[in-house]
Amino acid sequence: MAFTQDTSAFSSKNNYQNLIIPGIIFAALLFSIWLVFQSEDVSEFPVFVTDSFTFTAWVNQGEDFLKDNIKVYTRAVAAYVKELYWMLEDFLLDSSWVFIVALLLIPSLAFGGIKLGFLVLFGTMYWGMVGLWGSAMETLALMGLSVFLSVLVGVILGIFCALSDRFERNMKPALDVMQVMPAFVYLIPAMFFFGIGGAPAILATMIYSMPPIIRLTNLGIRQVPNETIETATAFGSTKSQVLFKVQIPLALPSIMMGVNQTIMMALALVVLATFIGAQGLGSDIWVSIKKLEVGAALEGGFCVLLMAIMFDRFGKAASRETVTLPVDSQKFYLLPQTWDIYPTARYIEKPLQYIHLAVAFIFSSIIRIFSFVINLVVSLFNKDYGKLIEQFINAHYFMFSGIFILLGIIYYDSNIATIGSFPDSWNLSIRDEIAAGVKSLTVNPTFIEITRSIRATVVIYLLRPLDTYLTYLPYWFTIGALVIISWKAVNLRFAIVTAFLLTFIGACNIWTEAMITLSSVLISVLLCFVIGVPIGIMASYSKRFQNINEVILDAMQTLPYFCYLVPVLMFFGGGSFSALLATIIYAIPPIIRLTVLGLSQVSTTYSEVSRSFGGSTLQTLSKIKFPLAVPSLVMGFNQTVMMAFAMQIVTPLIGGKGLGLEVFNGLARSDTGRALAAGIGICLLAMIIDRISLAYTKKQRDALGL
Amino acid sequence: MKTSLFLKTFTALILSSFLVLSAGTAHAKRLTAAVADWTGGEITCQVAVSMLEQELGYRVDRIEFASGTGLWEAIAAGDIDFACESWPSYAEADEVMLNEPLYYEGEVVQEYSGSGEVIAFTTGIIGASDYYVPKYFVDANPDFKGWEDLNKFKDQFATVETGSKGRLIGCPVAGWNCHDQKRLDIMGIDFEAVELGTEVALLAEAQGSYDRQEPFLMYLWEPHFFFGKNEMVGIGLPPHQPCDSFTEANNWQDCGMGSWPASNWAKDYTMNYMNPETMQSAENAEALAFFKKMKFANVDQAKMLVRVGDDGLSVEEAVQEWKDSTNDWQAWLP
Repeated sequence: MAFTQDTSAFSSKNNYQNLIIPGIIFAALLFSIWLVFQSEDVSEFPVFVTDSFTFTAWVNQGEDFLKDNIKVYTRAVAAYVKELYWMLEDFLLDSSWVFIVALLLIPSLAFGGIKLGFLVLFGTMYWGMVGLWGSAMETLALMGLSVFLSVLVGVILGIFCALSDRFERNMKPALDVMQVMPAFVYLIPAMFFFGIGGAPAILATMIYSMPPIIRLTNLGIRQVPNETIETATAFGSTKSQVLFKVQIPLALPSIMMGVNQTIMMALALVVLATFIGAQGLGSDIWVSIKKLEVGAALEGGFCVLLMAIMFDRFGKAASRETVTLPVDSQKFYLLPQTWDIYPTARYIEKPLQYIHLAVAFIFSSIIRIFSFVINLVVSLFNKDYGKLIEQFINAHYFMFSGIFILLGIIYYDSNIATIGSFPDSWNLSIRDEIAAGVKSLTVNPTFIEITRSIRATVVIYLLRPLDTYLTYLPYWFTIGALVIISWKAVNLRFAIVTAFLLTFIGACNIWTEAMITLSSVLISVLLCFVIGVPIGIMASYSKRFQNINEVILDAMQTLPYFCYLVPVLMFFGGGSFSALLATIIYAIPPIIRLTVLGLSQVSTTYSEVSRSFGGSTLQTLSKIKFPLAVPSLVMGFNQTVMMAFAMQIVTPLIGGKGLGLEVFNGLARSDTGRALAAGIGICLLAMIIDRISLAYTKKQRDALGL
Repeated sequence: MKTSLFLKTFTALILSSFLVLSAGTAHAKRLTAAVADWTGGEITCQVAVSMLEQELGYRVDRIEFASGTGLWEAIAAGDIDFACESWPSYAEADEVMLNEPLYYEGEVVQEYSGSGEVIAFTTGIIGASDYYVPKYFVDANPDFKGWEDLNKFKDQFATVETGSKGRLIGCPVAGWNCHDQKRLDIMGIDFEAVELGTEVALLAEAQGSYDRQEPFLMYLWEPHFFFGKNEMVGIGLPPHQPCDSFTEANNWQDCGMGSWPASNWAKDYTMNYMNPETMQSAENAEALAFFKKMKFANVDQAKMLVRVGDDGLSVEEAVQEWKDSTNDWQAWLP
């Protein structure tokens, strides 16, 4: 009892002060609503500003200038990359499918064992069986080349960062900005400089996926202990010897982690790059979306998902340290090692172990014979080299047998019988069945009635009022309000920046579009909360539900974001409501995740205390756990807002409006200035909201002493 | 030390792939095509591509790229070698980039005086576009004579999203340059044009309304399979009158009522358009000769449209079916 009395006394003392700020906000809100009713038409920036600030025209003039002067060079770069890309693509498409499968399977077996081997085998067979082999190869080619270039340039830049503090200081802000930018933003300048097709896609992807490799190379090298370096120097190593013989080898695990992240990011953008004319799985998905073929789009999305999982697991397996098992335990090849305690699992694993040993024996014996012959031949010239080579081959018998298998397949393919591309007859596609299932639902009258009423409710009570409110509200009021918020939440300097950025948006004559974008982002974030938080609460109470949730959320985050348009379009048709819904589906995972995280992070002591004071589950949740989870929730808010903004660029495909549509129209009409202005507008809005909510999170965390 | 093993394996794999690469066959005759973003255009494209691939031994990379000025610029820049079935009254770049007259059956159908960065030849398809209402609406409302009466019935055409205004299911893609809203505004029609993003979305919306027997106004073009299943009536927009000042350079200065865009679309002699440098090179002489001779007929496209739109065939299957059933195309080969 004492507990409750204390808090009530505490709050009553501050009652008066507590009311001031809400009071001001409420008054401002009323005033703004009055302003909206006063205005006749949508709020627009004064004509003298928009007419003199012709950003669009400047960009287009700049483009013409670049076209005449710089494009020769950028085009040459693009042409070179295109040659490389075509070479790689030709290789992947012309090689027999068995060869490609083996090429992916053998390293996976080497690093990830049978488990990863099965995954890779399933993934590659799936590409072929749904008839997307060619597209998967194109995506692989795009991704492979961009990752290769990204790692090449990224490692060099990372080394520079590690060696020079000044270079690192200059690089850091750029890396920070790159991390906030939505992926799509990279495609516009790439198209601007390098044209359309695979080459600009590769170059954009290379730049987009570089930050993690730069950061982690830098970090890895800097983490090498000073003592090690000094020892090396004391033994008379030169600077470059220290770098290449000591620092880089020790930084390798960190670099490998960077490579893994780079691969994942590259895959995401390569799929998206279909918007600037890149081929591959992304293009298939996009075409299916455009044709409302939900089954085909789903299968394409699944191919991408499998590819992402495969590379992720491979990267993890390759950079993992070898685990030394206790002597008495049996090594598991397929099942998790922790199941070692179950006799059944041991029983299942036994035959696998024998097979593994037998295969290893066969291959190592063959390789031994091979290395012996090599040794004999080389020994004719130099005995030492012969011995060394023999040892090397014997130590890497797996790699050499892999190469032999690959060569064998090539020989079989070119000299005995052509294997060719994936056989069409091995078809397991179920796209027609999926499409039929969805179709049967969409013609169901009850379903139509339900979707229509949801749509009408959201449009009439949420979307249209907020759209009208934000677009009719005079621009000076909106700018003023946002500036004050950013002043209070961050600092005066950022408030000035906010004012400047918002004025830029207004002066570009895209104020109305920006407000429509803001409105749809706000509503989708609101609905994300309304739907996501309860799911998160449920998940935090049930372990099983949480597991299912995790799997779904993981899958959702790997899918390229225009995949979310498919189900929405299928069930709800086109229009601003569908755009909203797609945004919600895409942006909801962080909210759910961080609600779960926030609630489960609350130390059990607090809930125990609450329960011992007689608090019910609901009270514990709403009074103790939830308030403590707020910082985590705000973090989720922040991520959700960013994702919602990113989604605004693809929603025009199904009837979204605002800045995203401006980007699309600008691109389609080759009006780069217009597309760029709108693209920058989205980024600026996202940046402002990002900074404000991050600062707010920090304050909350500090206040709670976390 | 696992990582170093990984690196070595990786290097070995890369090296071995490059070994194979150098032995691989090079495709000398390789072209890049932009596939059109509507079914009819896709069919025309597939007809051209199947001729190039199956008869003339080319390899054609198909790129998905929204039609519009951006595509014309991509062709002029040489990123894409050719694209199919451009409709002159939709293209705005044709005036700027073509400089040779367009021939149809030996007669000049359109004069051009642009930069010559792009060249074009007619496909044989002749297109027409209009706004349509369903026949059941006209039958139920004998007062409805044409576009002048739209305002009287706008309440029936209104939807949740358009509020008090009527709804036009407009041109789906911005890059098509339909100027729907501009047309409605100049003509004083109190409707809002809704841009759904794709042809399929437009058809789905219209088909849904048709199935529910609701009144709706839609943009569409001929030949199209939608007319096969649904009875539609054109609203008789005023006949096409060009307007020279309605360009981006002139800040879209319109010529008032009765002139473009406040008029119907022109009869469109559609064309395949391509990059002159690539197509006039020696190795692409056959492709160029084919494009000069290609004469695809509306009737054939209409048949294939029905096979794709109603019978659920893929564009490739429909074109293959047509190609196997006739020899007309033999005459287009060089």
